[in-house]
Amino acid sequence: MPDGSFERPQQRQFNPYSENGGTILAIAGADFSVIAGDTRQSEGYSIQTRYAPKVFRLTERAVLAVNGFAADGNMFVKKVKQRLEWYRHAHAKDMPLRAIARLIQTMLYAQRFFPYYVYNILGGIEEDGTGAVYSFDPVGSYEREACRAAGAAQSLVQPFLDNQIYFKNQTPAPGTNHPTHLPLPDVLSIVIDSFTSATERHIEVGDGLEIYVVLAKGRSTQELASIGGLQELTTRAEGDRMFVVRRDLKKD
Amino acid sequence: MDHFPTNWGRPRDELYDQYNTFPLHQRPANHTETFSGGVQRTQQPIVTGTSVLAIQYKDGIMMAADNLASYGSLARFKDITRLHAVGDSTVIGASGDMSDFQYIQRVLDDIITDEFTAGDGNSLGPAEIHEFLARRMYARRSKMNPLWNALLVGGIQNGKRFLAFVDLLGTTYTAPSLATGYGAHIALPILREAVDPNPDAITEDAAREILRNCMRVLFYRDARSLDKYQIATVTEAGVSISDTQKLDTNWDFADKIRGYGAQTQ
Amino acid sequence: MNSFADRFSTTGTAAELRRIKEYVAEDEEVADSMWGSEAGFGAMAHGAPNFMVPDVPDPAAFLRLHTDDHADPSCRIKIKHGTTTLAFRYKGGVVVAVDSRATAGSYVASGTVKKVIEINPYLLGTMAGGAADCQYWETYLGMQCRLHELRNRERISVAAASKYLSNLVYGYKGMGLSMGTMICGWDKTGPAIFYVDSDGTRLKGDLFSVGSGSTFAYGVLDQGYHWDLTDDEALELGRRSIYAAGHRDAFSGNTINLYHVQQQGWKFIGNYDVSEMHYNGPTGTQGYGYSIRTEGRSSANPPA
Repeated sequence: MPDGSFERPQQRQFNPYSENGGTILAIAGADFSVIAGDTRQSEGYSIQTRYAPKVFRLTERAVLAVNGFAADGNMFVKKVKQRLEWYRHAHAKDMPLRAIARLIQTMLYAQRFFPYYVYNILGGIEEDGTGAVYSFDPVGSYEREACRAAGAAQSLVQPFLDNQIYFKNQTPAPGTNHPTHLPLPDVLSIVIDSFTSATERHIEVGDGLEIYVVLAKGRSTQELASIGGLQELTTRAEGDRMFVVRRDLKKD
Repeated sequence: MDHFPTNWGRPRDELYDQYNTFPLHQRPANHTETFSGGVQRTQQPIVTGTSVLAIQYKDGIMMAADNLASYGSLARFKDITRLHAVGDSTVIGASGDMSDFQYIQRVLDDIITDEFTAGDGNSLGPAEIHEFLARRMYARRSKMNPLWNALLVGGIQNGKRFLAFVDLLGTTYTAPSLATGYGAHIALPILREAVDPNPDAITEDAAREILRNCMRVLFYRDARSLDKYQIATVTEAGVSISDTQKLDTNWDFADKIRGYGAQTQ
Repeated sequence: MNSFADRFSTTGTAAELRRIKEYVAEDEEVADSMWGSEAGFGAMAHGAPNFMVPDVPDPAAFLRLHTDDHADPSCRIKIKHGTTTLAFRYKGGVVVAVDSRATAGSYVASGTVKKVIEINPYLLGTMAGGAADCQYWETYLGMQCRLHELRNRERISVAAASKYLSNLVYGYKGMGLSMGTMICGWDKTGPAIFYVDSDGTRLKGDLFSVGSGSTFAYGVLDQGYHWDLTDDEALELGRRSIYAAGHRDAFSGNTINLYHVQQQGWKFIGNYDVSEMHYNGPTGTQGYGYSIRTEGRSSANPPA
């Protein structure tokens, strides 16, 4: 038809997708990685719960954050964890981060014609000991980056990160250069500020904040000493160490 | 692949504008659905139940639902039980399509029987029932053939309270107080204020009073609700679903309401 | 037999079978190849992978409904799009130049996308259309090219590789795949470029540009192109063309990635910021856009 519509019988169809709000974010440092997400789950204007984790520990050195449709997200994480467990049984070791990233691509792409409505961010430590962040679109295109925000408040947070992490539109003082990697305390402050600010300006963000910190093997943990609400998740001595920081965000 | 820049990188619509004759500035529209023939699926709920409410309290969890099954705006069945005990430590409450709920009851009763028959000393608690339901509901939505319900699952397991939600999309979550449907808008704020700060401080009588109060508020404002309801409790002692209770209501305020219909002042 | 009664009865063997089937319903997605070292792409070495398709009368319409932000800007699942890519053949090999912007609706989802996919040391593929479609299928093509090498003791030709991809995506025609790619490389016949897209089109040619900014790139490319370009001229032409697209097309920009393919394989030449090109140019002395418009201009000396 000239207006662009079709002349066909119409029927209301079941919509298998929903959107559950929230925001996730990850930043890679030289020898650490920080992955964070708020804990509010909502649908429309209703807050379903104030605590529904969106960030999940996959291995000793890999953390996955999922955002979008919560049911798809939880199912996807469940399936990734299953595949990683199978890998452990076959190889007696954890799957390396870059392999997990590729696995996630193939798993997302397998649903190319019925996509998971999930934005994934994978963070952790690579085999060479560097911090890494991989970000994915819902059907599996991915890229290794230094930082990425996704979800409801991505358009609020990402420009802030571009400025603070990539130093976009900032000119260094004459004779100096911008650092390529920021120290951990700076990164943690940026993450916390990102979420408190997103909570102020986005209705789907708030309630609680979970920040996962993965430190490369042998790295000092001293910078974490002053952080409140810290809990260590490391299970193996002599390896990379993992921590989670739980904080409150405003609940209104 | 056509050579109109604005059409780049989008899923192709083979049925529409095959030869790229369409003007550049106009966009093809999405508002079409092909007619689905063949198998009849639940594409919309028919006989429905309204809100279910549930809270955690000192001794366990408590759940409430009224006795109405509506057929559109018709109050069709006024003696329906929407709370269902599963095993001896779990209760589920259903809103949405009642025929799908009856199917769910049958499936759950079957797995409870199977688990009992196995005789291995294991039993299914609320966490397992909820996980089972979540997987089933998600699997059915993925087959584009959903079970049109929003369910609350509550119970007690190893001395710990459990209360969670699952709906037709497979969405799940847990909280100290939960409500489905209309109740999520009208009753949940009241429940959260009373319960969420400290569920352990609420006695059984207090919990019952909170839920009764919310059921009354719902009956005043939810046009698909009834003043007859049941309350289920799960404690260490087991599951108990009460007989039907009637709400005491007071409609004195009604004639003071202004601004509806032909009434102008 | 009363098959109707059988179908709906809740007792008897038919019902029992049905119930068992429902309980042990095989998860078709779980294949043996998901175990162990085959857990990644290895699963696909046994042939094209399987895809889950929604159980609706028209899966392509379903996909469009939920992912086509062009037809419905409020659609939820926004797949990354938008691009300018180009490749051309000249006496010194193939120049491949692309931008690095990915957009989801009007949001710039990324400014650092690698749109040149390094299939193997002698083959490059470009990315236009759905980012995941290009990334996935060109990686998959890389695996098939390696298998070809192992089976035939020689490298696959660009023609064969591109035809493999073209046949592959043609099998999914009408399902909603979206990719427009140039397979570039050097084989026994010398430098070669094939344009392959998700409709199944496959074209051999000397010069292609693909994507929303292709018209702008073609404008620069066509006026500057001839077979006998020197290497430096050719690389400059590729860079200048993508700059033009990045400057004028809202869906393209951020940075330029430049590749050169010669007999010994491809080589990454560099990454250039589009704004930097505008003001300062590749050498830092002469910007493509700014200086030529402003230098020496004043009210006393107005533009002619």
